[in-house]
Amino acid sequence: MDFEALSSCASSGACIVTQISTALIIGALLFMVASGLSLIFGVLGVINFAHGAFYMAGAYFAYAAYQATGSFLIAFVTGALGVGIVGVIFERFIMSRVYGKDVLMQLLVCYATILIFDDLVKMIVGADYKMMGMPDAFALPPFEFAGGFIPPYYVFMVVMSLSIGAGLWFVIERTRLGKIVRALAINPRMVGALGINTMMLYAVVFGFGSVLAGVAGALAAPTRTLTPGMGLSILIESFIVTVIGGMGSIGGALVAALLIGFIRAFGAIGFPLFVDGIMFGMMALVLIIKPSGLFGREPAR
Amino acid sequence: MMKSGIRRDLLVAFLALAVFVALPFVYTKPALRDFLVYVMAYGLLAMSLNLLVGLTGLVSFGHAAYFASGAYMFGLLMQTGRFSIPLAMLVTFVGTALVSLVIGAICVRLKEIYFSFITLAFQMFIHSIILTWVSLTGGDQGLRGGIPRPPFLGVDLSDSTTLYVFCVVVFVICVTVMRQIWQSPFGYTLRLVRDNPVRAMFLGVNVARVKLGIFVLAGAMASVGGMLLALFVSGAYPEFGFWTTSGEAIFMIMLGGTQLFFGPIIGAVLLRLLEHFVSIYTEYHGLVLGLVILIIVLGLRQGVADYVVEWLRRRKETRQASSDKTSVADAKVVEREAI
Amino acid sequence: MLSVQHLDKHFGGVHATRDVSIDFPDGSLTAIIGPNGAGKTTFFNLISGASRPDAGKVVFNGQDIVGKSCVEVVRLGMARAFQIAALFPSLTVSESLTAAVTSHQRRAWMLLNRFPLEQARQAVEEIIELLGLQAKAHTLSRNLSHGDQKLLDIGLSLAMKPKVLLLDEPTAGMGPDERWRMIGKVQDLWRAKAMTVLFIEHDMDIVFKIAQRIHVLKYGAVLAQGTADEIRSNQDVIDAYLGTDHHLAQAAGEK
Repeated sequence: MDFEALSSCASSGACIVTQISTALIIGALLFMVASGLSLIFGVLGVINFAHGAFYMAGAYFAYAAYQATGSFLIAFVTGALGVGIVGVIFERFIMSRVYGKDVLMQLLVCYATILIFDDLVKMIVGADYKMMGMPDAFALPPFEFAGGFIPPYYVFMVVMSLSIGAGLWFVIERTRLGKIVRALAINPRMVGALGINTMMLYAVVFGFGSVLAGVAGALAAPTRTLTPGMGLSILIESFIVTVIGGMGSIGGALVAALLIGFIRAFGAIGFPLFVDGIMFGMMALVLIIKPSGLFGREPAR
Repeated sequence: MMKSGIRRDLLVAFLALAVFVALPFVYTKPALRDFLVYVMAYGLLAMSLNLLVGLTGLVSFGHAAYFASGAYMFGLLMQTGRFSIPLAMLVTFVGTALVSLVIGAICVRLKEIYFSFITLAFQMFIHSIILTWVSLTGGDQGLRGGIPRPPFLGVDLSDSTTLYVFCVVVFVICVTVMRQIWQSPFGYTLRLVRDNPVRAMFLGVNVARVKLGIFVLAGAMASVGGMLLALFVSGAYPEFGFWTTSGEAIFMIMLGGTQLFFGPIIGAVLLRLLEHFVSIYTEYHGLVLGLVILIIVLGLRQGVADYVVEWLRRRKETRQASSDKTSVADAKVVEREAI
Repeated sequence: MLSVQHLDKHFGGVHATRDVSIDFPDGSLTAIIGPNGAGKTTFFNLISGASRPDAGKVVFNGQDIVGKSCVEVVRLGMARAFQIAALFPSLTVSESLTAAVTSHQRRAWMLLNRFPLEQARQAVEEIIELLGLQAKAHTLSRNLSHGDQKLLDIGLSLAMKPKVLLLDEPTAGMGPDERWRMIGKVQDLWRAKAMTVLFIEHDMDIVFKIAQRIHVLKYGAVLAQGTADEIRSNQDVIDAYLGTDHHLAQAAGEK
C-alpha cells in the first residue's frame, strides 16, 4: 500500500482531477456493460457469459468503421448496430437453445462463442494491438478544472453513458414497451397469452443488452488499445459490478460501477497489486451479507 | 453385491496402473509422458470438481483455488528442506482441507448461481494474495528456486521414470478413493441433495453439512492434482489459481460428461488432444475448440460420455420393455451397470 | 401424540393461519379439508418445521417442536408427502428408498462401505411390497407414472418410520378409480403401521368415507371439526365449502 503516492496525489489538484475523471470513465463504461448484463439476466433469466465479447466487438466494429470512413459518428453507430445484429443472431441461434437448461450449458455455449469471436478477430484484424486514436471531432484542448485537465472526450463518455442509462430507465419504467418487458420478466407465458410475440421480444431485449455492451466498446475504443483479450477483463469486472449492485438493478449497477471505477483509478496509484483482491473481497462480502446485491431484488424467475 | 463392486473397482485400478505405467515404455517419446502427467494432474482437478458438480449439484467456479493451494503449499514446504515428500504431501492435503473448510462454510450457505459466484470470488481473492505476497510466493513469476526432490524410502524422484510412476500411483490411488466416495452411502446422500435438496431435508439429511463435507473432500483431492503438477514442473505458478484454470476443469467435465464417473478424465483427454492436434494444423485452435463445443452442447445437449451412456440405457430400456412381464425375482436379478 | 395449540402465522399482510388448535389422537386418521387458500398446506408446513409460526405450540411426543428444523422434526418421527410428488428424478425407486432408509438408519455419511447397504435391504423390500411397486423397483423415478410417483413419495416418508404421517393431497391429479385405489392403499398403510395420519383432500366422497375425524379450514381458521356426519350437516361448512347443491349435503338433509 503506497500511502506516499496516495497522499501526494491527494495534495495535488491535477492528480485528483485526473484520477477522478479516470474513475468516472471506467465507471461509465462498466455501468453500461453491467446494465446490459443485468437487463438480460432480469428479463431472460440467463447470465450472458459472452457479454465481454460484445464489448470487444463494439470496439473493433468502431475501429474498422473509423479506419474506413474517418467519421466518429459512423464508427459509433456501426459499433452499436453491428453488435446489436450479432447479439440478436447469437440469441436466436445459440442462446435460445439453452434457455432453462443447466447454467453450465449456458456457460459452455458462451465460452465457445468467446473462443470463436476471439479467433475471428485475430483472423480478420490481427492479434496485434490496435489503436484507434482520438477522433478529430474530439481533438480539442482539454478542459481546465480545479487545477487539473480533463480530456473533452471523457466528458462526452460520461455524458453519453449517463444519458443512455437515464434513457434505459425511462423506457423500462415509463413506457408501454418497458411495461411489457417487465411483465415478460415476471410471467412470460401470460405475456404470450396476450398475443405478444415473446420470442421476438426476447431477441429484442437480448439485442438491446448486447448493444449496451457494444456502445461501451465503441466509446472505449478511442481511449484504449484494442486486443482480442479485452472482452475477458471487462466481463469479470462487470460480473463483480452486477453482483455488488444487484442483478436486475440499473441504479445498483451505476453505484457499483462508480465504486469499482474509483477503486481502480486510485488503486493504480496506491495499491496496484491489491486492486483485484479488494474487488473480489467486496464481491464476497456482498454475497455473504446480502446476496441479492446492494440494490437487488430477487430476480422474478 | 457390495463386495464385488469394490473388488471390481480395485481390479480396474490395478489394470489402469499397469497400462499407464507401461505406456511410455511402449511409445517412448517424452511428449507422451508429459501429456499423461498433465492429464493426470488436471484430471484430478476435474474429477474432484465433479464430486461437487455431477454428484452433488454444486457448481463451483473457483475450484482451482485448491489446486493452486496444493501446488504452492507443497512447493513451499519442500523448499524449507525439513519435509520429506510424503510428509509434505500429507500436510498439504490436510492444510488445503482446512482452507476449503473455512471457505466452504461460507459458500455452501448460498444457493445456485450465488454459490458459483462466491466460490469464484474467493478463488480470485486467493489468486491476488498469491500475486501480491511476492516474498512468499514469487508473485507473478511463480515459486522461485524450483522444488527439491529428496529421496524417500528408497524412492528417488529426480529420476524421471520414477517420478512418472510415482505420479501414476498417486493418481490411481486418488481416483480409487474418489470412486469409493462415488459409490458409498455418502455418495448417494449427495445424489439426494443434488436431485431434491428440500426433499432430502425431509428425509433427515442435514444438507448444509453434507455440502460442506464434500466441498472439503473435493478441495483436498484437487490439491493432490496441484501437488503432482508442481512436482512435475518443479514449480508453482499463479495461473494454477486463475479463473481460467477453473474454467478448463469445468469444460473437461462438461465435454466428458458429469454423470459418468470417468467423464471428467475423458473430457481432460479430449480437451488436451483437441488442443494438441488443432494447434498443429492451425493457430486458431480457439475457433475449432469453440465450434466443437457448440456442436456437442447444441447437438448432443450433454457431455460425450453422458450421451453414450444415455443412448445405451435407452436401447436397454426399449429392449426390456418389449420383452417379458418382469416378476419380482427377475427384477432383483437385473444387474444395473454400477456406473 | 400430536397437539396443535393456538397456531398463528402471518405472511406479510396475509393472516394465513388463525389461532388453530387441534388435537390428533394416537393412531387416528384425520382429514384436513377446506377451500383453496384456506391454509391447509401452510398448516402442514407449520407443524413439520418447514415454516415457523408466529405464535402457538406444536406439541409432539410431549415436547414443543416449534422452532425445530424440518430435519429435526423428521428425526423425532414426523414425515410428510407432498402435493406434487417430491422425488429424486435420477434415482430408481429402489435407490431412492434405500438412500432414504440409509439416512433414517443414520448411515448417510458412511464412506467406507458400498451402496446399497445390506442393513437397509429388508426395510426397503418391505416398503416396496406395501406400495406394490415390485415391478417398478428399478425404474427411474422420473419415468414413473403419476400415481406411482405419488406412491413413491409416500414410500419415502415411510422410510422414516414415522409416528405421524402428513399426506398433502395424496390423490391429487388422479381419476376417480385411481383415487379410490390410492386412498385404499393409504388406509392399508395406516392400519399396517399404526401411525397417526393426517391427510389433505378435496374429494369429499373419499373424505366422508374413510376419515375418522374431519377438520375444516377456512381463511386459516378452523371452521368446524367432527365426524363425517357432523361435518356433512354443519351449516357453516355447507355454506362455505360444500354448497347446498352438494349431493352429500342433500343426503344429510334427507336423513
